[in-house]
Amino acid sequence: MQGFPGAMPDAGQLQSTLIAIERACSSIQMHMNPAEAEKIIISLRQSTMPYHTCRFILENSKMPNARFQAAGAIGDAAIREWGMLTDEDKKGLILFCLHYTMEHASAANAYVQLKVSAVAAQLVKRGWFDFVEAEKINILLEVKQAILGIHGSDVQFAGINFLESLVSEFSPGTSTAMGLPKDFHDQCHLSMELNYLKEFYCWAQSAAANAVDRIVGGYASASEEKVCSKALHFMFQILNWNFQKSSSALDYSNNKSNLASSGIRHDVVQLRKFERSLVEPGPLWHDALLSSGHTLWLLNFYATLRQKNSSDVLWFDFPLAVSARQLILQLCSLTGTIFPSDNGEMHIKHLIQILSAIIDWVEPPNIVPGTLRSGRSESEMVDGFHALLSMATLTSTMLFDNLLRSLRPFGTIHLLSALTCEVVQAHASKNDDEQTWTSEGLDILLEIWTVLLGRTGNEKKLSAESIASASNLFNTVVESHLKAAAESAFEDDSDADYFHVSVSKRDETLYAYALIARASIETTATFLTKLFTERFALLSQHNERWDPTQTLEELYWLLLITGHVLTDPGEGETVLVPEAIQDGFAGVSDELQHPVVVLSWSIINFARQSLDPEMRKMYFSPRLMEAIIWFLARWVDTYLMPIDATKGHLGTSGHDEEQQQDSQPSKRFLLSFAGQNQGQIILDIIVRISTSTLTSYPGENELQAFTCRKLLVALVRRRHVCLHLVALESWRDLARAFANERSLFSMNSRLQRSLAETLVSAASSYKDLEISNQYVRDLMGPMTAHLVDISNRNDLKAVAQHADAMYMVSCLLERLRGASRATQPRTQKSIFEMGYAVMSALLTLLELYKNQSTVVYLILKFAVDFVEGELAFLNAKETSILVNFCLRLLQIYSSNNIGKISLSLSTSLQSEAQAEKYKDLRALLQLLTNICSKDLVDFSSDSNEVGSTDIAEVIYVGLHIVTPLISLELLKYPKLSCDYFALVSHLLEVYPEKVAQLNKESFAHIIRTLDFGFQHQDADIVDKCLRAVNALASYQYKEKTAGKEGLGANAMSSEESNGEFQESILRYFLRLLLQLLLFHDFRMELAGSAADALLPLLLCEQDMYQRLVQEFLDKQSNPAIKTRLASAFSALTSTNQLSSSLDRPNRFKFRKNLQIFLTETSGITSII
Amino acid sequence: MSDEEHHFESKADAGASKTYPQQAGTIRKNGYIVIKGRPCKVVEVSTSKTGKHGHAKCHFVAIDIFNGKKLEDIVPSSHNCDVPHVNRTDYQLIDISEDGFVSLLTENGNTKDDLRLPTDDNLLTQIKDGFAEGKDLVVSVMSAMGEEQICALKDIGPK
Repeated sequence: MQGFPGAMPDAGQLQSTLIAIERACSSIQMHMNPAEAEKIIISLRQSTMPYHTCRFILENSKMPNARFQAAGAIGDAAIREWGMLTDEDKKGLILFCLHYTMEHASAANAYVQLKVSAVAAQLVKRGWFDFVEAEKINILLEVKQAILGIHGSDVQFAGINFLESLVSEFSPGTSTAMGLPKDFHDQCHLSMELNYLKEFYCWAQSAAANAVDRIVGGYASASEEKVCSKALHFMFQILNWNFQKSSSALDYSNNKSNLASSGIRHDVVQLRKFERSLVEPGPLWHDALLSSGHTLWLLNFYATLRQKNSSDVLWFDFPLAVSARQLILQLCSLTGTIFPSDNGEMHIKHLIQILSAIIDWVEPPNIVPGTLRSGRSESEMVDGFHALLSMATLTSTMLFDNLLRSLRPFGTIHLLSALTCEVVQAHASKNDDEQTWTSEGLDILLEIWTVLLGRTGNEKKLSAESIASASNLFNTVVESHLKAAAESAFEDDSDADYFHVSVSKRDETLYAYALIARASIETTATFLTKLFTERFALLSQHNERWDPTQTLEELYWLLLITGHVLTDPGEGETVLVPEAIQDGFAGVSDELQHPVVVLSWSIINFARQSLDPEMRKMYFSPRLMEAIIWFLARWVDTYLMPIDATKGHLGTSGHDEEQQQDSQPSKRFLLSFAGQNQGQIILDIIVRISTSTLTSYPGENELQAFTCRKLLVALVRRRHVCLHLVALESWRDLARAFANERSLFSMNSRLQRSLAETLVSAASSYKDLEISNQYVRDLMGPMTAHLVDISNRNDLKAVAQHADAMYMVSCLLERLRGASRATQPRTQKSIFEMGYAVMSALLTLLELYKNQSTVVYLILKFAVDFVEGELAFLNAKETSILVNFCLRLLQIYSSNNIGKISLSLSTSLQSEAQAEKYKDLRALLQLLTNICSKDLVDFSSDSNEVGSTDIAEVIYVGLHIVTPLISLELLKYPKLSCDYFALVSHLLEVYPEKVAQLNKESFAHIIRTLDFGFQHQDADIVDKCLRAVNALASYQYKEKTAGKEGLGANAMSSEESNGEFQESILRYFLRLLLQLLLFHDFRMELAGSAADALLPLLLCEQDMYQRLVQEFLDKQSNPAIKTRLASAFSALTSTNQLSSSLDRPNRFKFRKNLQIFLTETSGITSII
Repeated sequence: MSDEEHHFESKADAGASKTYPQQAGTIRKNGYIVIKGRPCKVVEVSTSKTGKHGHAKCHFVAIDIFNGKKLEDIVPSSHNCDVPHVNRTDYQLIDISEDGFVSLLTENGNTKDDLRLPTDDNLLTQIKDGFAEGKDLVVSVMSAMGEEQICALKDIGPK
């Protein structure tokens, strides 16, 4: 056999390996001793030059699994030993695999052939830049001939299979890493795209074309159909390629403007959702895809087949039909420079051509759902929707609408609206269970609407016909959903997390509905008001015996949809009145007639009814109140004293008024109807509603959470609203109740925290600093006094452990915590007073409640939040008070918990205890990290004062206390270990000089944890450890060169009893790091930080390094590997003019060297 | 807030009730609750509604703090649940007697001899081994609703 590498083993040996592998494979399949069997197979994969053996197995084994493993082994070994194979060998292996797949093309167990062709593809890629062009062409020519069908359809199939593996091997997303840098993969990607991809496409196309004629003629064999669908699928795969060259090839910035006028969009990058992308192959592909009539050919082919098989309901899911449709969709998503710059003419023609074909898939709208119910697959309809989505993405709204006008008397949007109506109705009625297609179809349709209507400015202009269709559609949507709501009203609310789990999904749907509503806002606002008032009236008409549940559920749904129509979600952004609503209603001339104003008022008036206890009891169920609160929160953000309006009112100059007159009156009404005067009234209503949900709905956590976390937060978000808020009697009542009455203690303590936070936040609105602080004192004073009282009680010990006492303490702590989270520069002073007042009480309580983990945790978390909020503002004296408090806290915690073992019969209680410990420790680490930040952010005025606390000192004392609590066991919790290593690496980087001062035990502990971190799975943690070691070693090197002691005794030796660190710590890490680089599957993304850590280590320990290198080399038995390794090692330290300094350029050079070193050595050493 | 309002103003241990009523909605994970007459630790709370427009109810999954059995309960969230007073006291371990009782040193210098060693082998060995090695051990004793059990162990080391 030409060019088959390695020595040929004798026949007996071959036979025995074959038997061993077969046996291993069968025992894996039967689950008998799989570990042992895996070992045998791995040994084959890792043996040197196993090619002859593998070939023997491939050719002689009767067991497909064994053949599969043999193929895998060839791939592994060849990639590993690539450097040692001759060019002949490499080619020989590739051709062997290729021929194997062709010769066995018709054999059963296709997965073996697939694997072999995948291996061939891998090897071709590995050698892509080693081979001369002619050699590659030779190999590919053979494939081409196979694909064109010279050797029959089975071989054709095998050929396409190989190309498919090849293309996926060359796509970055699906390629095998092969231990090569990203750069190599990128070059391969580009080279494939430029030189071969189009050619492959054409081969597949001609293979398909040959088969198509016979299929249409009706005399094709099954295998020919298979080839055809495979070829189409392969073409689809090629069009999925992530094209790089084209997007930058032509600068169309100058013709962008005139193209935009045609309505073709160039700014779109991708189709959102549904994992599909736009196809931008560039001008080179013009002839293959467009000018050659390729699209038309494909459309005709599909249409002919479709007609032939129209009676067969299953046909739509046949592979051939599916691949053809997928390819059509891909062609529909073509964009970019493949189209000439002819003002979009060709592109539009292309789209209309496709539209004229796919319209059959979805038309007529009222028939399609019917046929689906009778058993036809929905896949064609769904694909049709996808095609519409592509078109909508690529065109302006107007152009999209016009696309259909050459084919039908109406526009595309009209069709879309009719389709959506049908699907919404089918979806909402949910008669049978098997209608998953409705939700899939609805998803896509709504996405199209979102794309079309979610645009800004001119691009979303609609024709009158489209507006009427949208209005019509919205009516259908609302009616079918109201019907569904009424029907579901008596269902048990089984999904308790309705508001959380599916909430984002539901909001997305409602958002799309809202866009549709806003497209015809002038009619929809009135429509919604009408529906709402009707139901509101129903409630007030009836007597007690009438069951309002259905109406309540309808109102619930109406509140949700109205909220979405009137407002945008705007998480974390300044929310504005939606553009469509601002611009609409041109004819309205009276504020009270403005439909949006009317709608808003009718909901507010409805909500106000909940203040009447009778009404509340009868009609305002918790669920309805949740919707009301949610609505109000969004409404407040958008309409209550909006920014523009306040400008107009605050500025008294005539200039502002002029501006106001410029804008149309309807817009002005929107901004002013809830302005200063009316705004205050509404604000008062809302505060009273909030108070009543907090006090009159005991135990309704969901509702109260909405009130505390959404509505009240929205009220205090803007300062000028806050200003009015704090002046309200109702707000003062709420604050008074919070500070002095018991009623609010019956809320869930976590909600009390949010409430405290909100109430304190409102303080920032006072202009006068002293008043702000006094407000906080009035609010929080009673809490601190109460807590201090408790801690001073004589009978504290006896009473403290009682459940009621603990509950009270927990509530108070949560409130204090909430207040500290609301710390702002203006209120910093009073919050510090608050914290200062309870410091000693907290220490007492921590000691007292040492066995009550919930209280302990709250105290720690309070400290964390308090330090975070306050530390930056404190002067030296206050800082030292706070820091001392924290240290005392740490000490008490540590003395109570160190060496403690909890015992429990129940494993779940045991794991709960473990989890609690972990949460405590995280809080402690956060506390230390927060204290650290004082060094970085310090707003206090007197930072240079004498006697200021040395933060570094504090942290190390803290670390002394905390580290013994952190066991390696606990570091397995990902969040904890992340926090811990972040802290340690930060400390070592910033204050390495303090390391020397640590006592031996703590130092050793930190080192041990670093050692542990190195073996961690999480790359982020390994990275942090590498940074820490870098810091340590760099410090030591700098100190040594300056002739100082550096790490001193700590570094030199640490005589651990278990002998873990017999040598010095740096030497230990040097060895560890080298081992990591050479023998583990080292992740390339860490190469940079590994280089940074290795350089100072090897500068510190030159002799040791030389010795280690020698040691590694001596272990190599294979002389070829040994030579390569030796030269790689010497290149690592000698090339690139590496010097012995730690400055940036030098580190950079070393990074490069290490990268080359890793590429060179990866693979060869991993099996030693 | 005035002192009279402290509703835990009750006297010390003697005669005090063993539980305290608390609104179900305020009981959180890791808190305590009485289910079927047993003191439990809550490991899971979920809420749902009785019918769409009904009131909220809490579903508790809890574990008996003494025997480790899992118990569940559903309570309307505005109703009160019994919350046990769970006390934990540290004692120094003086002796382990042959009949399975431990001798503990109380804070005021007396001994407490009425507590059995735990029956579970694993826990037993941890205590026995530590004691046999001559370590200074402090045991935490958890008590609630008239039951007591050793729940934690700490080596305070040589003094």
